[in-house]
Amino acid sequence: MAAFTFDGSSVPFDSGDSVLLALRKAGTIPGGTLCFAGDCPHCVATVDGVSYVRMCQVSCRDGMTVEPHPVGGAPPLPDGTTAHTAPLQIRHCDLVVIGQGESGSAAAAEAIARGRRVITLDSKQGADAIGIYAGLTVLARSQYGLERIHCDDVVVATGAAEIQPVCTGSDLSGIYTARAAEYLLAHGVDLGTVVAVGDPPPGHASVSGQLVRFEGEGRVAAVVTRDWDGTEHTHPCDTAIVGLGLHPRDALFRMARDLGVTVVGDAAIDATIPPPPQAGTICPCANVTADDVKNVWDRGFHEMELMKRATLAGTGTCQGMACLPHLRSLLADLGGTVQPPFTARPVTKQITFGEISAGAHLRAYPRTALDGEHRRLGAEMDRIGGWWRPWTYGDTEGEYWAVRNGVSIGDVSTLGKMIVTGPDSAELLERLYPTRIAGIKPGRSKYVLILDERGYVLDDGLVCRDGEYEWFLTFTSSGATFAEMWVRDWAESWELDVRILNRTMSLGAINVTGPHAKELLERVGLSDPPSYMGHASAQIAGIDCRVFRLSFTGELSFELHHAIADSVELWRALLDAGADLDLRPHGIDALLKLRLEKGHILVGQDSDFDSTPRRLHHEWAVDLSKEFFVGKAATIRTNKAPLNKQLVGLTMDGPAPHEGAVIWSDGDYNGYVTSSTWSPVTEQSVLLGWLHLRNGELPTEATIEERRAIVSPVPFYDPDGGRARA
Amino acid sequence: MLERLEGLRIIANAQALDAAVWPNGSRVFRLAADDVFLLGDGEVHLDDPHAIVELETGFSGMSMEPAAALDWLESTCEWELPGQRPAFAQGAVAGLAVKLWFDETEVFVMTASALAAELEERMP
Repeated sequence: MAAFTFDGSSVPFDSGDSVLLALRKAGTIPGGTLCFAGDCPHCVATVDGVSYVRMCQVSCRDGMTVEPHPVGGAPPLPDGTTAHTAPLQIRHCDLVVIGQGESGSAAAAEAIARGRRVITLDSKQGADAIGIYAGLTVLARSQYGLERIHCDDVVVATGAAEIQPVCTGSDLSGIYTARAAEYLLAHGVDLGTVVAVGDPPPGHASVSGQLVRFEGEGRVAAVVTRDWDGTEHTHPCDTAIVGLGLHPRDALFRMARDLGVTVVGDAAIDATIPPPPQAGTICPCANVTADDVKNVWDRGFHEMELMKRATLAGTGTCQGMACLPHLRSLLADLGGTVQPPFTARPVTKQITFGEISAGAHLRAYPRTALDGEHRRLGAEMDRIGGWWRPWTYGDTEGEYWAVRNGVSIGDVSTLGKMIVTGPDSAELLERLYPTRIAGIKPGRSKYVLILDERGYVLDDGLVCRDGEYEWFLTFTSSGATFAEMWVRDWAESWELDVRILNRTMSLGAINVTGPHAKELLERVGLSDPPSYMGHASAQIAGIDCRVFRLSFTGELSFELHHAIADSVELWRALLDAGADLDLRPHGIDALLKLRLEKGHILVGQDSDFDSTPRRLHHEWAVDLSKEFFVGKAATIRTNKAPLNKQLVGLTMDGPAPHEGAVIWSDGDYNGYVTSSTWSPVTEQSVLLGWLHLRNGELPTEATIEERRAIVSPVPFYDPDGGRARA
Repeated sequence: MLERLEGLRIIANAQALDAAVWPNGSRVFRLAADDVFLLGDGEVHLDDPHAIVELETGFSGMSMEPAAALDWLESTCEWELPGQRPAFAQGAVAGLAVKLWFDETEVFVMTASALAAELEERMP
């Protein structure tokens, strides 16, 4: 005979038995009033490694392992080796009907007749709705895995649940609701001597009087009732059956009533309010007794929602299916009015980590067209600025000196790039940027800040002019996506006649930098390089490029922008041509070191949410004599306020302090380090950091990580910029 | 495997794109009112002097058998797919920005080349 293992013992079962039914047949009965309907929390167990499974809802499988949850404790977390992401199915329809009893079936039939696309869910058929979200979206678990169903309407027809008894001894085993007893009898289970209270199942009579308590040691041995005159009667039994009335199984409706969900049938009935419990456990999930509720009431928590939060009643396994009627009854007894049920929230049943992660994906980080080249060269790749980028090729210092003394190439394809054309293109850019745009000649570029309406720095980049109506803009790697929205939004708001194309993911860019950069580019065909801050079209190694002359490293530099289909060919051509120049690529680690020596800020790292151009020492990038630009009014306003903090350069002997380290002045907090590195060329640590002014003055020195730091002018290296302009 | 596509990216005013005559045999993906990705050879004439016409190699794509594609999309696409054929649709699929072309014989899947490796990892 087929069998499963329960708590280390073999339990036989008949085909179609639920685990709980098989256990009952074998004489093993969990404590508490069992409902056999998935409503109560008394039969949860760990089934094949998954905890909080209701044994009454799971069919037996040969060889399955069932472990009871520890008494008074939580089951162990999965060890990580057995967890798996549940399959996800996404469906769409007009109407979801939850529950396929009489009223649910009728609702579905009527909708189908009207031509609506209907999906029905019924836990008895293996499709258990467990949540409704705005959208509308119904979450259900099924044999497929997890289902997310997007729909216009939902009908909740989930019927009603039986009220659990709350009294002394109600946690004994051998107590069943009337429907559960009927179910057991139908499956041939011998219940022995039965005592029923309330509405009994067919064929049984109830004892008279009000239920007072159950008696027994572990298992019920007697039911005690009380007559109207106070006389108690003890009824010996093997099994107690309780028929205390119904309350709507309406959690799905209560969690989504504001979303326009409809409830029908028994799920819409007025709940029976049982007599207020005087003793016993009201909420078996959170182990909340009637005395606990009274104590919380006496402390002033009289609202249902507050009672739920203060006691945690209703927050456990059954989400209030056992306790809610009794809480309402007890609060009505204490306060004189019946309060509405507490709010229900998704999900109604415990779900696994695998189900939670169904359909979830990690954030995708794009890769440049040179990603494979970097990995082939042994680069340590990392997620930087929203992209996979080479942090180092294994010798950051060597990469650094290649830039300072020789020539190096770096992948800067991640830079934001955008083409703007159209008759109003100059007008758009003039309004967007805080510097003068119209004066930029074709073939020339200009460094620009982007400010928001409050005058805070959003991003920086270049504006490059190609023609009267043609522009090429660059942005930071992490700012590109936002920049596109920013530019489009303003263009539409101002109803300007422009064309905008984001080229960030379509164009590659390779930075050729170092004193020998020009020599290297001559070898691959660039005979007439643009002057500093100029740009031109050229063929490099036979590949169409737009060549930008600028410098982020502080050395002679050219950015070669090109179609990403050509990135690998261009990269390899440069490596080949520069082999005898000791050309080597540099990673981001070296690049950040190089740029910090030049004092170039990284927007987002060195800037903060309230960084104005003045605080960043970038007043030179703002022309307040312009008639208008985004952020002008705020800039004028904030410039009137006393300067209270500023991004400054600092130098220190010894190793670089941590980025984020606190800057102390006279023993008090005075700011923090935003960027720091050991500078090989200046043989000191160089830093950028925020310092507060004291009495209108910046301190001249500070303490960082218990060492002296000197406030120093930036750039730290080549302050005249002669090397970049060479 | 997703393969890099080579076409033209055309940004122009919507009326010019509506009126454009596309080269025979080309595939035209209207990404937005002002935005077309054109796969195919031939010249394009547009009534917009400020149109941006650029070589576009920033997309990668692959053709899938319709049943297999729909099976995959059923577990990765939160929005409702078009029922008519042919049809073009775009949105998040498996957490990535994807463009889909549906006809009777294939579902053509496109994404930014920079995300192609990620998308492949999320495909069956």
